Amino acid sequence: MIILAIDTTAITASVSLFDGDKIIGEFFTNTGLTHSQTVMPMLESLLKNAQIDINDVDAFAVNVGPGSFTGLRIGVACVKGLAMALNKPCIPVSTLECIAYNGMDFDGILCSVMDARCGQVYNALFKIENGKLLRLCDDRAITIEQLKSELENTNEKIYLLGDGAFVSKKILTDAKYIVPSVQNTYQKASSTAICAYNNQNFTDAEKLMPLYLRLPQAQRELNNKLNNKNNGG
Amino acid sequence: MVEIITNSVEETENLAQKIAYNLKGQEVIAFFGGLGMGKTAFTRGLAYALESKDDVSSPTFAIVNEYSGKYNIYHFDMYRINTWEDLYSTGFFDFIGQGVIVIEWSENIENALPENTIRINIEKLTDNSRKFKIEGDVKL
Repeated sequence: MIILAIDTTAITASVSLFDGDKIIGEFFTNTGLTHSQTVMPMLESLLKNAQIDINDVDAFAVNVGPGSFTGLRIGVACVKGLAMALNKPCIPVSTLECIAYNGMDFDGILCSVMDARCGQVYNALFKIENGKLLRLCDDRAITIEQLKSELENTNEKIYLLGDGAFVSKKILTDAKYIVPSVQNTYQKASSTAICAYNNQNFTDAEKLMPLYLRLPQAQRELNNKLNNKNNGG
Repeated sequence: MVEIITNSVEETENLAQKIAYNLKGQEVIAFFGGLGMGKTAFTRGLAYALESKDDVSSPTFAIVNEYSGKYNIYHFDMYRINTWEDLYSTGFFDFIGQGVIVIEWSENIENALPENTIRINIEKLTDNSRKFKIEGDVKL
């Protein structure tokens, strides 16, 4: 089974082809948010260089969220269009689960983090057990401070993975928090493909939707004046 | 903080040009102050100095206008933005660091402004003159 996977959920963009055993090809860029202009040429170039016809792709995988508003829409729209036109199934993947695949060989807690701005991250925790990825909590949006207090009593090593690793490490300063070397930091489409292959969570193009996570900023008003009003001012 | 008084639309545009020449391309510039203060004139001067040939207008309906130039300029109008969800769905967070961001009606999203935001408060003195109070890392 050949899976074509796309990730455009944050600052990086990547496309990959996976056949169930090996990564046939991958194209990764970390050059800023121009995904709407770059992802289709990347995909075209990947197929051409891997000498695979798009009709030979059996399923289209995509990170459907969490992630940047624009990024999620680009990735999902792209896969939706391809799968619809070719009448092939889609496989939605949680970006945070995809990210955890970067830490498959690490012994400890895999802490997927994506920068949600304003001191917040999209996060989920995982662990490897008997070579398999084990999810410890649902995908969520929390402040880095909350994450810190939650993990305070953990003695294991905690690997910070994903585009939010660097911003998280600024607050998660303890030595137990480890940012792995840069090739294992960012989400990548090959992980999306492998995750999709393992989960086999097929859906139709029509039903493929981005999954936005609600930000928990309710605690903090967007507008200072509104805040004062609410305080009875 | 710097205070500068301009006495015409042209002077406002010139002030913006001076500021623009020293931008590095990732700044967030937030305007405070109501209608008819010269925010659009200021942005026009900024875009001109950044070699953009695009027409500058207030993005009241579009919420964000994009002008291409030496740096991309993302011109936001936050007048109708009331919640974090609204703000997220404008793509605001995606644009940070991708170019110069200019924000009208910053009052509405004050708590989402990045730390190093350049804040510009505009006060109307007479019909033609304005007082600009500029806070942040700007060179004139």
